[in-house]
Amino acid sequence: MRGQRPSTGREMEVDMGLIVKTMARVTIPFIGIFGAYIVMHGHLTPGGGFQGGSTLAGAGILFLVAFGLKEAEKKVNKKVYSALEGVGGLVFLGAALLGFSVAFFYNTLWHNGPFFNGKPGTLLSAGFLPIMNLAVGLKVFSGFVAVAVSIAAFRRWRG
Amino acid sequence: MIPFQYITSFLLIFIGVYALIYKRNLIKLILALDIIDSGVNLLLISEGYRIAGNLPGTAPIYTGYETLKGVPMVGPLPQALVLTAIVIGVSVTALAVSLAINAYRHYGSLDIRKMRRLRG
Amino acid sequence: MSTIHTVLPLIVVLPLLGAFSSPILDLISRKLKEAWILAISAGTLGVTGYVFYYVFKNGPLLYTMGATNPFGHANFPIRIVWEIDMFNALMALTVAFVSLMAIIYSVEYMKRDTGLEKYYPLILILELGMLGIVVTGDLFNFYVFLEIMSIASYALVAFRNDTWEGIEAGVKYMMVGALASSFILLGIALLYGQYGTLTMAYIAYKMAGHMTTTAKVALALLMAGLLFKSGSVPVHMWLADAHPAAPSSVSAMLSGLVIKAGGIYILARILFSIYGPSINVRTVGWIVIIFACLTLIVGNAMAVVQTDMKRLLAYSSVGQMGYILLGVGIGLAAYGSNVGNLALAGAIYHTVNHALMKALLFLIAGAVIHALGTRNLNDLSGIAKTMPVTSFAFIIGAAAIIGMPPLNGFASKWILYESSALFNPVIGAIAIIGTAFCTAAYVRVIYTFFGRPNSLTMKAKDPGKSMLIPIIILTVAIIVMGLFPWTINKDFMLPAAKALVNQMGYIHTLFAGGV
Repeated sequence: MRGQRPSTGREMEVDMGLIVKTMARVTIPFIGIFGAYIVMHGHLTPGGGFQGGSTLAGAGILFLVAFGLKEAEKKVNKKVYSALEGVGGLVFLGAALLGFSVAFFYNTLWHNGPFFNGKPGTLLSAGFLPIMNLAVGLKVFSGFVAVAVSIAAFRRWRG
Repeated sequence: MIPFQYITSFLLIFIGVYALIYKRNLIKLILALDIIDSGVNLLLISEGYRIAGNLPGTAPIYTGYETLKGVPMVGPLPQALVLTAIVIGVSVTALAVSLAINAYRHYGSLDIRKMRRLRG
Repeated sequence: MSTIHTVLPLIVVLPLLGAFSSPILDLISRKLKEAWILAISAGTLGVTGYVFYYVFKNGPLLYTMGATNPFGHANFPIRIVWEIDMFNALMALTVAFVSLMAIIYSVEYMKRDTGLEKYYPLILILELGMLGIVVTGDLFNFYVFLEIMSIASYALVAFRNDTWEGIEAGVKYMMVGALASSFILLGIALLYGQYGTLTMAYIAYKMAGHMTTTAKVALALLMAGLLFKSGSVPVHMWLADAHPAAPSSVSAMLSGLVIKAGGIYILARILFSIYGPSINVRTVGWIVIIFACLTLIVGNAMAVVQTDMKRLLAYSSVGQMGYILLGVGIGLAAYGSNVGNLALAGAIYHTVNHALMKALLFLIAGAVIHALGTRNLNDLSGIAKTMPVTSFAFIIGAAAIIGMPPLNGFASKWILYESSALFNPVIGAIAIIGTAFCTAAYVRVIYTFFGRPNSLTMKAKDPGKSMLIPIIILTVAIIVMGLFPWTINKDFMLPAAKALVNQMGYIHTLFAGGV
């Protein structure tokens, strides 16, 4: 086949050239802002922790693809990311345990909490839901980035 | 009269099962699993669809607007279920892809007919 | 608001806490993490023990997520509920106990492996999934926990990803398991579309007198998926590949618990508590019985011809699952009668016994692999001389699984023979033929153990403390449970069977409200 180079197994290690890198440098902040918006407004608009977290992870994966594995591995420490994922899980669990005196997952912040108890439809409302969305967003983001980097790193045995 | 989205979802499930039985490439099998998942998710989400008069349902988010205008909301529960099912599907797919990469390392091929060393 | 309602959610909270905090502790110290995981697991066992005691004393228990009762402002249950009766509580206790044993064992067994920062969270998540399955009273909640359990077990089967065996078994297990999960989800989706609710007891309530074709299709899909997951015979091939490929501590959990919590337990719950008398119990019961007979003959017969020790144990698991399925099938076909209750009690009893015995046997197989590096039976000749404690424990486990009189396996198998013979003599005969095969398989292993030692086995020695303690505890548990078989049957197993059959009671527990 003409125009198709044989696979060297090192495609993930090199970057994708100046044009892609420049475009990625411009778009990554916007993707990040959009993802953060989806996470923070999870209790008001369609979306939430998982969707926003995957959008954020999309920015990370774009970075990985555009700049190559070497650059990405400088920024991503897998151990730290897996610890961050653990933090996300723990925060979620902690939010669920806040209303433990009534029931597991009881939304005590909403019923008689000091904050997050505003009118429905405003940003500071819905009790523990914003906290949970943030926790899930963190967990999904760090999990996806760690998964993408690990899968990219898998290919190196061939080189 | 069966609604057409039910037919579509069962069609998707059958396509997935067909591919799972007759395809030999590991990546195609993973895609087949994803197609089955999509079929089931489509069935679940279409169960929550509501229509009142000729007004189609809107997103199940409480802001006060819908109740004023009398617009029906679609069922929120199936949406929550489908979201969960999608998350589960993503993690299964991620794990399956990493297994496929490892399988390629050991067998030099993604053909499942070559993975027949376990016997007896 | 009482103590039990504070303690109950800890069943799920504790393993989750352990799994999430383990990567953070991993940054600090490995010893600390192992101690923490052990403490978490022991705490879970304590919680399930307390729940079991409470349910045994006070009857079934309802727990609602996020509020004090499942109803809110509606007149039907809208929240996720957990419903715990004798049957669930017994299963939860078994799961927590065997998991604790497997985790104690792993501390030494997995010492030489890398990737432990993934191993311990995964094993806790596996435990969490099983505990969640056995406590939940909500169909979709069940599906989520089932998937949590399944994904953890796929990853654990493929844990040794530097060997081709782990990967091949992992791929097979994953394909079969994911297909089965999709069937189960499809069944749940159909049930939800038909009855508009996911609470098991409320589906049962709505289903009584309003049985539709869709619900029957859903039952077929659920049964297909769950028979896949429990390794019933036409689809048992993945089990014999997957269970030996995992590390032995994980094999013990897979064979002892996963196929029961994720297969038999929920199958029984769906057949009895949701469908119950709404379906034609004789037809469905006979379908289960036919699968059970096939399973117990094929599984035990295949065990005889294996040369790989762990593969033999895995096929034996298939065979023993046949007995449990047989009990469930007879319990359904003779719904509500004394024979049916007896068969169900036997099935539950055998579930608990088999969890202990098969965990013990797999842990011993792991000890042998740890000492010798091989699991080919032809190389293990004469191991009794150099590994006396392990071999003694193996004899106890094997005798129990065959059904020798003073041990616990005898009681449960006897109840199953008796009830199947009372139900239909032909089935009783088939059950005994299965045991003959089973005896042949295990006698061969014991014979090998006591044969002439070869150069390899002369160098072996009993494993260290952390591996020996769970083996000894499980052996003692088997012997002690064998001492009071009829008391256990009368006090625990028959009430559990009656709680399972009592569909009205299950519905009533829901409507009686929550905390």
